[in-house]
Amino acid sequence: MGGLWRPGCRGVVFCGWRWSHPGSPARAAERVEAFLRPGWNGTGDAEWGLRRLGTWKRTGPRARDRAVQPPWRPKSTNPFTRAQEEDWRRRNKTVLTYVVAAAVGMLGASYAAVPLYRLYCQTTGLGGSAVAGHASDQIENMVPVKDRIIKVTFNADVHASLQWNFRPQQTEIYVVPGETALAFYKAKNPTDKPVIGISTYNVVPFEAGQYFNKIQCFCFEEQRLNPQEEVDMPVFFYIDPEFAEDPKMVNVDLITLSYTFFEAKEGYKLPVPGYN
Amino acid sequence: MSTAMNFGTKSFQPRPPDKGSFPLDHFGECKSFKEKFMKCLRDNNFENALCRNQSKEYLECRMNRQLMAQESLKKLGFGDLIDGKSEARNES
Repeated sequence: MGGLWRPGCRGVVFCGWRWSHPGSPARAAERVEAFLRPGWNGTGDAEWGLRRLGTWKRTGPRARDRAVQPPWRPKSTNPFTRAQEEDWRRRNKTVLTYVVAAAVGMLGASYAAVPLYRLYCQTTGLGGSAVAGHASDQIENMVPVKDRIIKVTFNADVHASLQWNFRPQQTEIYVVPGETALAFYKAKNPTDKPVIGISTYNVVPFEAGQYFNKIQCFCFEEQRLNPQEEVDMPVFFYIDPEFAEDPKMVNVDLITLSYTFFEAKEGYKLPVPGYN
Repeated sequence: MSTAMNFGTKSFQPRPPDKGSFPLDHFGECKSFKEKFMKCLRDNNFENALCRNQSKEYLECRMNRQLMAQESLKKLGFGDLIDGKSEARNES
């Protein structure tokens, strides 16, 4: 017994009627576009369709034959051009190898760049702040811009858990860009136990902060005050002379320097800038 | 510290000082120099330019008492004051 078993098709007459009667729903399904049928696998079928129409010669291996490649043979029969073809093929292979090697090399270099840059920073001592103009030779050579007077006000804050009395010793100071200035804060520990504090600072307005350079201060390091001790804390700073040339700073005449002290507890991580 | 919770605005990044931190003057060794400086500031309406000699003296005091790393005054921006001093000495 052989032959195809056609499911759902008991009576031949009835099946025939279903398949051939015009306007019937089964016929309508047949008239649906190929790409709407289930099992459509993309435009590959267009190729298949075109092939069926006979407009496409069957040249070249089909997709499923690509795994098994026929051995490459030069296309021409002329021995001279055949040698040339082989030569070109060999050169193409070499070039391709070089290009792939270069691509892999670039990828490796981009991965290696991170530790290499860190090494470079360590050896040259830039330490991440690769910005020109923060060196001490700049201070030596800078010329004060005498016609631009800036008022620097001072603010002192203390975290709620720290019981120090911390205040500035002057409310304001008038400086010019390019001139080094000294200012004092005073801190007193009124408790009976030594307390260790650590401070950070803030400069307002934000854009002027980049011109505010501290040569030396008391921030970012733990400062220990003994019971009932009062100390003077100096801040030695200058404003970069380039401040006078920045068009955005034309209207800035007031800079506020604000220090905040926190208590340094065990394991307390103040977000200090990289100091290593 | 900048605690402004503004979405998208840049927050202030504090920078460490160039020469690090001043050691605390626990014994008040340079207090007299500081007092002189503060008095000068108050007398001159808090203008820094007029009190630079006093600030230079305060820093010199710190350096002499190991409260500050030794540094040439030129590198601290007092180059003109040193020259002025030596000129005055030559003239007198």
